[in-house]
Amino acid sequence: MTRRVTAAIFMVLAAVMTATAVRAAEPKEIPITIENNRFSPEEIKVKAGEPFVLVVTNKDKAPEEFESKDLRIEKVVPAGKTMKIRVRALKPGTYPFVGEYHEKTAKGRIIAE
Amino acid sequence: MGATFVVTLREAFEAALLLGIVYAYLERVGARTEYRWVTLGGVLGLVASVAAGVAVSFLSGPLLDLGPDLVAAAVIFVAVALITWHGWWMRQHARALKGDVYRRLDEARATQRLWIVGLVAFTGVFREGAETVLFLWGLMSQTTIGGWGGVTGGVLGVATAAVLGWAIFRGGRQLSLPRFFGVTSVLLLVVAAGLFSTGIGKLIGLGFIPAADPLWDTSWLLRDDSVVGGFLSGLTGYRARPTAPEVIGYVGYLVGAGLLFFTPRTPRAETPDREAARPSAGVLS
Repeated sequence: MTRRVTAAIFMVLAAVMTATAVRAAEPKEIPITIENNRFSPEEIKVKAGEPFVLVVTNKDKAPEEFESKDLRIEKVVPAGKTMKIRVRALKPGTYPFVGEYHEKTAKGRIIAE
Repeated sequence: MGATFVVTLREAFEAALLLGIVYAYLERVGARTEYRWVTLGGVLGLVASVAAGVAVSFLSGPLLDLGPDLVAAAVIFVAVALITWHGWWMRQHARALKGDVYRRLDEARATQRLWIVGLVAFTGVFREGAETVLFLWGLMSQTTIGGWGGVTGGVLGVATAAVLGWAIFRGGRQLSLPRFFGVTSVLLLVVAAGLFSTGIGKLIGLGFIPAADPLWDTSWLLRDDSVVGGFLSGLTGYRARPTAPEVIGYVGYLVGAGLLFFTPRTPRAETPDREAARPSAGVLS
């Protein structure tokens, strides 16, 4: 059983790594900043159909979790750090996101058009 | 305070549920001496969560951009595998109820496989553990904004989750044995199906599985980010806008694992030769 679990873990990791290797290189980077538990800018416009990378910088003294339920993204951005979040090509539409640790203030949306 | 309470309660709820079930399970099959595996798994899960929180905060570079996501995805699928195994194993014992649970447990103990139950506890705690640790840490380092009320709320959220886990454990002791196995099997089945589709969603988010349009939209009825939606998501994997791979994964898991958990005894297992129904004759080999 243990061996089977281990084998399964390795298979998942191998699949994931292969998938990483074959992914298209260097999509457009879009910066976004977290300060005082708010995103700036709060509205991001992207081209529909093109993947992109959100470069999220957290200027606060506390970690924040970038979360978009629609995009299935959850990513902790520690205090003072910058994280890159790859986002898949989107269909035209509005995709809201929040900072899960400060949901009342940290809100924004990605508009793909 | 209310907001931070809800966040940590939501994060810790699943772990509490799983711990409550596995402790109750050991209690019911007369294996209290094996609590230590669950406790050890839970404590190690907590240690790993703190370590992951520290690592995320102090590491940097490309490893950090993708690493935590891969770990998170792997933990989800490992948790699904372990819960499935536990549900299956529990079923073997439920089937043996007419006979001799205790002898069977002795056999299992003899083969030293109860420690795998500890792994269920470990993954249960570790899955959302790092997030919860970072959240509480952030609250404490930022008391000027959240105030100590925020910290109190966060700690109370974890404590409430623990009380819920304890209630499940106590409640499990009140049920008749067959009912206990039935109820916990259903709970585990639903939690694991939700986890499985969450894992698929994560792979979609990472771009490893092609994205698809949502099959339906029930956000008018219950939004993902509402309090109830959040809990339902933790317990059953509820999504207001699920995509085809997630729905297929969810239903596929429910059917597959449901058959595994609930099919009546096979003719082979009903032969007078009780050895055929021994847990170690099945998945444990």
